[in-house]
Amino acid sequence: MKRLQEVKSNEALDLYYPTMCEIVDAKQLTDLEKWYELKLPGGQDLGHEPGQFVEVSAFGIGEAPISISSSPSKEGSFELCIRQVGTLTKVLKRYEKGDTLGIRGPFGKGYPIEKMYGKDILIVAGGIGLVPLRSLINFVLDNRQEFGRLIILYGAKNPSELLFTDELDVWQRRDDVELHVTVDQGDPSWEGNTGVITTLIPELDLNLNKTIAAITGPPIMYKFVVMSLKSKQLPDSHIYLSLERRMKCGVGKCGHCQINGVYCCQEGPVFNYVDIKPLEEAL
Amino acid sequence: MECYSLKQSDVPALIDHLGAYGEVIAPHRKGDVSYSFEPVKDSEKVVLEYNRTLLPLKKCFLPPTEKLMDFSLKDMSYKPTEVPIKPAVYFGIHSYEMQSILRLDHSMLSGKAESNYFNRRKKSRFIGVSFSPDEYHFSESVGISIEEMEGFDLYLNKVSDDYQLYIISDKGKDLLKGFDKLIQAEPIHVEGREFNKKIRYHYNRLPRVFQYAYHSKVWAEVAERCVGCGSCNLTCPTCFCFDVNDQVEVTAEDGMRRRSWDSCMLSTFAEVAGGENFREHTLNRTRHRLYRKFKYITDEEGLPWCVGCGRCTAFCPADISMVDIINDLIREDEKAQFHKTVRV
Repeated sequence: MKRLQEVKSNEALDLYYPTMCEIVDAKQLTDLEKWYELKLPGGQDLGHEPGQFVEVSAFGIGEAPISISSSPSKEGSFELCIRQVGTLTKVLKRYEKGDTLGIRGPFGKGYPIEKMYGKDILIVAGGIGLVPLRSLINFVLDNRQEFGRLIILYGAKNPSELLFTDELDVWQRRDDVELHVTVDQGDPSWEGNTGVITTLIPELDLNLNKTIAAITGPPIMYKFVVMSLKSKQLPDSHIYLSLERRMKCGVGKCGHCQINGVYCCQEGPVFNYVDIKPLEEAL
Repeated sequence: MECYSLKQSDVPALIDHLGAYGEVIAPHRKGDVSYSFEPVKDSEKVVLEYNRTLLPLKKCFLPPTEKLMDFSLKDMSYKPTEVPIKPAVYFGIHSYEMQSILRLDHSMLSGKAESNYFNRRKKSRFIGVSFSPDEYHFSESVGISIEEMEGFDLYLNKVSDDYQLYIISDKGKDLLKGFDKLIQAEPIHVEGREFNKKIRYHYNRLPRVFQYAYHSKVWAEVAERCVGCGSCNLTCPTCFCFDVNDQVEVTAEDGMRRRSWDSCMLSTFAEVAGGENFREHTLNRTRHRLYRKFKYITDEEGLPWCVGCGRCTAFCPADISMVDIINDLIREDEKAQFHKTVRV
């Protein structure tokens, strides 16, 4: 048990004060999602890992945990992409280039990059799950020779909800990226795959010993994707998932993000499947 | 351990003496049946024989609401709230309450240590007092006796009509410098202060009970009676979860960010934007609260995170009893063990 006497005065931290960041660019990507590029004072790097999150603060409204969407290899600024579904995020829709937002973080554990070097990376992104995974994808692309295959499965409800379509086009054209996009429901102009994301998994040809899967999507998606990957015989320890919880403080205090006894903001949001299997509340 | 006798009539003089160190906070009567920890204005008004205060002592270190900052919407700037390090004496504290502060220390200072809590806690001194357990106290069942002195600087043990004062720490000794109403005494063991409410098992057996209790039918039985008001969390001396909210002035130019106690028993506690709720039912939340007290942190730290003050039970509007829940879980566990044995 941690004792008061063990804490030196300089170890007690002001945990709840944001750093004000300027929005240097912003763009509404779909009806619901907006993309922001932010700059820390003096253009310093955020110093994050792919998969980590920040607490975004708009005075008068509050704070919300938001995934970082840019790769750590991008210097001088970082990017967020925010779905407008909550009290804060709906207000953020009004924030444009030149406005300032408060940022705390980065927080949590991201993807274990050291364990991923030399491996085939299988990305499974459902809906806005692509936002945090884009950080990992772009990190792999910026260090392309350090990784094996890059397979990206991306599913959205319908074509109008597809995010980062410019980048999807670039990834589609690259011969060192295997991109498979599907939508639950197509429209007349849609020529790609139709069906939920798990329909893309059976036909994958995976090198099981070498493949590491990174999954992010709506809560309902995880069980089905994990089941499909297990039926491909991918070992549990090769599966990483990023879980959504209400990470209010980001520093392991406020209690809102607990999954059973685990603080999602401290031990996650990226978890190895082996570690969350025993947690009844996880999936 | 140094032991002195102190006359009941000299207690106000001791409180006044302690005031030289800093503000003294002690139990006071509040209404006909309730007690509250309040700053001492008149040492004669301090009540040393009380069962429990409504709000736990944690309110002094983790206030029910506290301002984190003032902000301006005009230029999007903010001014942090400084929490000064002030000396203070907490007088007339029960052993379970002291143990709850030691547990709060761990919760707020392990991992990333929080400055707000640290500053309030830094120069605090604690003077314990013995108590007579009522029908709700069960701290002995979680390993905390009436005379547990860990964490205190001084301790007052009621012996017939007067007190024996124990010096526990050097800081406690310093507090007494210049106080001349003490007479050296031989420690007396007080008999007959018994706990009426008991958990049937020793607390070191509870993690095993909880290991197999996750799907027990007991949770649904409790959830049926629970009204989900969250009083159990708000009166719990070791609950530390909080919420953070912004408040804007009518001028819409300035405002403040505040944090307030929150409650995992409230239905929206684990809800995320978009409506997904990860502990949607009262059953999930009741279970989570009990697991937080007897399993999750206990597995890491080896101690129950419940200190047996009995507040959650005494103040529950639905008469839900922590001890009864645990004894029900124990009974269900024994039944399951019995069936297993019979089958073999």
